Amino acid sequence: MIMQDFKYALRLLGKKPGFTVLTTLVMATGIGLSLFLFSFFNTVLFKDLPFKNSDSLVVIGTSENKERNSGELNIFDYKEVKAGLKGMSNLLAYHTSNVNVVGRDGSRRYGATYTQPGMFEITHTSPLLGRGFTEAEKKRGGEAVVVISFDIWQNQFAGDKQVLGQTLRVNGRNHRIIGVMPGEYYFPNVSDLWMPLHLDRGQLTRQEAGTVFGLGHLDPGVSKQEINAQLDMIMARIEDKYPKSNQNISAYADTIPMTAVGDGIAVVYAMQVVAILILILAAINVGNLLLSRAVERSKETAIRVALGAPRSRLISQMLWESIIICTLGGIIGLLMVAWGLEVTQAITATFFVEKPSFWWKFGLDAFAIKLFFAFVIATVLMTGLLPAWKNSGENFNAALRDGTRGAQGKKAGRLNKTLVISEILISITVLIGAAVMVLSSYLRTTVDIGANPDNILTATIKLPKADYPTPESQSQLIKTLQSNLENNSGIEDVMMLSSLPGKYSQSPFMALEGKVYPLDRGYPKANYIAVTPGTLANLGVELRHGRYFTSGDQGLDKSTVLVSESFARQHFAGESALGKRLRLVEPGDYAPKWLTIVGVVEHTRQGDTQRGELPSVFRPFSQAPRPQMTIAMHMKTDSVTTMALLRDTLKAIDAELPAFRVETYHQSLARNYAPVRFISKVLLLFGIAAVILAGSGIYGVMSNTINQKTQEIGVKRALGADDERIKKELLLSGFKQFLAGSIPGLIGGCALGFAMAQVMGVGGSAIILIALSTAFIIGAVVMAATYFPTRKALEMEPSQALHYE
Amino acid sequence: MSTCLIALDQVKKVFYTDEVETHALMNISLKINKGEYVSISGPSGCGKSTLLSLLGLLDTSSGGEYQLAGNDVSDIDKKERARIRNKEIGFIFQSFNLISDLDVEENVELPLTYRKDLSKSQRQQMVKDALAKVDMSHRGKHFPAQLSGGQQQRVAVARAIAGNPSIILADEPTGNLDSKNAEAVMQLLDKLHAQGATICMVTHDPRSAKQAKRTVELLDGQIIADRNTEKDTDNGTAAA
Repeated sequence: MIMQDFKYALRLLGKKPGFTVLTTLVMATGIGLSLFLFSFFNTVLFKDLPFKNSDSLVVIGTSENKERNSGELNIFDYKEVKAGLKGMSNLLAYHTSNVNVVGRDGSRRYGATYTQPGMFEITHTSPLLGRGFTEAEKKRGGEAVVVISFDIWQNQFAGDKQVLGQTLRVNGRNHRIIGVMPGEYYFPNVSDLWMPLHLDRGQLTRQEAGTVFGLGHLDPGVSKQEINAQLDMIMARIEDKYPKSNQNISAYADTIPMTAVGDGIAVVYAMQVVAILILILAAINVGNLLLSRAVERSKETAIRVALGAPRSRLISQMLWESIIICTLGGIIGLLMVAWGLEVTQAITATFFVEKPSFWWKFGLDAFAIKLFFAFVIATVLMTGLLPAWKNSGENFNAALRDGTRGAQGKKAGRLNKTLVISEILISITVLIGAAVMVLSSYLRTTVDIGANPDNILTATIKLPKADYPTPESQSQLIKTLQSNLENNSGIEDVMMLSSLPGKYSQSPFMALEGKVYPLDRGYPKANYIAVTPGTLANLGVELRHGRYFTSGDQGLDKSTVLVSESFARQHFAGESALGKRLRLVEPGDYAPKWLTIVGVVEHTRQGDTQRGELPSVFRPFSQAPRPQMTIAMHMKTDSVTTMALLRDTLKAIDAELPAFRVETYHQSLARNYAPVRFISKVLLLFGIAAVILAGSGIYGVMSNTINQKTQEIGVKRALGADDERIKKELLLSGFKQFLAGSIPGLIGGCALGFAMAQVMGVGGSAIILIALSTAFIIGAVVMAATYFPTRKALEMEPSQALHYE
Repeated sequence: MSTCLIALDQVKKVFYTDEVETHALMNISLKINKGEYVSISGPSGCGKSTLLSLLGLLDTSSGGEYQLAGNDVSDIDKKERARIRNKEIGFIFQSFNLISDLDVEENVELPLTYRKDLSKSQRQQMVKDALAKVDMSHRGKHFPAQLSGGQQQRVAVARAIAGNPSIILADEPTGNLDSKNAEAVMQLLDKLHAQGATICMVTHDPRSAKQAKRTVELLDGQIIADRNTEKDTDNGTAAA
């Protein structure tokens, strides 16, 4: 019986290959796109890490102003958290950093983690060779030891089994290798080296203490929410004690992948809603096409009923078509997803200079396969049950007789209206979401960062404390490097600064002379960037007032700054900033150094979205040296030659000092925006799919509705309605359906848009404009979908229309 | 002397499907006077319904001349045809063709809403009168699906007469009804005729045809007989 129905469904689909191909492709698009998005985010954020009990493994990081920004906690805060927190076991601290390693192929940069003993145990991973850290090694003054990754073992030591005990020079200091971790182990993210973390820093002040993340397992039965509630309380207590340094600083616990996304999770959830809506849209389209076929075959169904077919049999027969279409479409979609994830693996690798997070392994996994089956079953039910129920419940006696269709038209009309309204609602919601994302990506990539990035090669260097322990030595190195590079005939200008425009910068609290800062508002923040003289002018950061830095500003004893015009506007509205003084706010600093503003330059965006609006303060490097600096060079030749010149120059000064993140300024900015651009492209695809699905779906349902109304149109024309009247009537009906769908669609879409906007940096007025444009587009689709079938129906003579079946 | 309401002269209708020409009507000449009750009969496919469609301006002829109430309507535009259908012609269909979304009163009012010269109160009065004539006043707020076939057809008759048309065109008005309801509808048409209505009815039911005062018989698109059934004699307007 089942085989018979299956064969019959195959025969019916074979008879109309165009219909079969169309519906299968629509389903493939819906299932494929949705599955891809869920699979992508599952891999990036939700999937358990490849360790035992990884679902209970959480990291404790900081939040600021309730925004989860995943920063590290001050060591003092961490100690208080550890002492007060209940419900987490084996809590340990770690700190991630980049380190210079001198290996057999020269000096290189690697990701490193300084950790308390226990990290390998927490991740249930034992070293392949050797051991982890002992309690003695975590003590200050203990032996310098290191555990290396499988990759370093292979690349720097050629997989030498005798590697244990050998020396590795890390940040200018020799470390004894005590272990090798297995391949693919880069915990907690992209680490290749693990070294002991020393928390016993003697009499260090809060400001001198370093920062760390907390890591541990939730105890059985304890939720993240409970831990976060405790963290809020503990951090509030610390804030009370240190109101200026810890103002609005709190902490939260989350899984390692989730800490990376922070508050961006709202966008992720919004995108998942969009993915589900696309799936529903595809299912509605296919369901409607199947419904039209069911209506076409109502006479055949009536004959079957007259011959004694039970309703269940009729439903099963009609469901088979859905099963075949959805399964076939799903399989094509699944293949598309497999290919898409493979491409994604390659694309996401370009997001990072080093390597992506270790759990970013895209491909069809158990989650994707389970979801695939769930989607296929859901779509079979969505697309098949409606026509099956509708057709098997018809008045068969009436269907067998001619001319009484009019009495049944009301239900069909309502159903069609519901379908159109649903399509309008969903498509508007999806389009708004997609448009917000695309606009955000556009704004980020086209925004004026305040500098001209053309023809510039950039690189970063980090000066190890062991080799450059004092500000003087750091300053001397930078001065020598800049001078040597400038003397090179292949390089035009050399700019050095702690953070390029477009890149994130440290942003400490500042205080302005003569201003009182109440506890409840705290100090203002600003980007604090070290630059060498000439850098800002060469980068194209224009001077607005005063002067740039000159050689007269050089020296640790000097105290001059430049501020961005946004800083001047924010703090000295209506008066000149020149000559005013400010200082960095450092807890416990009882003899603050006042810095005099000598110039105002144009605003530079340091980071995107809201961060980009933060004003900046520039300080000569020689006054406040930093261990990490970015070198930017205007090239006279190509980037490869300039890169070689840089490496040679650097090697001549310090053979153990590597330049890393060597790339053009444009590449560096593009990499910054690459994730957003990628996601926006995916959502653009969703938007295009939504327009096509909604356009074809709305047209299909409307033309089907008007087709079913042909006889009614004939009757009205027979009774004297002219063509214009009929057109107006149907267009008005279409418009009413548009209103019924667009109003909730606009509400839903705007809600989605505003949820995304907070993170995406798109303004409210832009969202309103997007919403109205989207409604206009869909409105035009609805009107066109009503007008053209109406015109076609009116081309018939009324006599033909009256007898139209 | 009787006034000529409808005059067809050498009217023909040809349908083209692919490369096949079907001559549905050939050189039809026919006059219907005001107040006449004419039935058009003949076997299936003889062109009865096509002729009625041409008379009702639901279709255009392929040749010949058609005068309605003294005006040539052979080549008028669609808008004017719609206006004439609305004001001069009342249709009764075999399948009733009531709009399922509208209740009885709204169905009857529908053709009146297409006229700009009637106020809402005038329309309501006309609907009331028409429903009273077919004895359906008590069902004004019901929807078609809630009525029997006979009741639906009576509503369709009310809709046809509501605008006081010059002629009522009925296409197999009893075709979908049982004998009892068919009889009632025929009596209703008789009554309307007695009140002065001009009726032209297509039927292949000999009993229905007999109720008309004049019968035009078609065969293969041509008039083969035109009889006054009251006198039971040919009136001499057979096809040329």
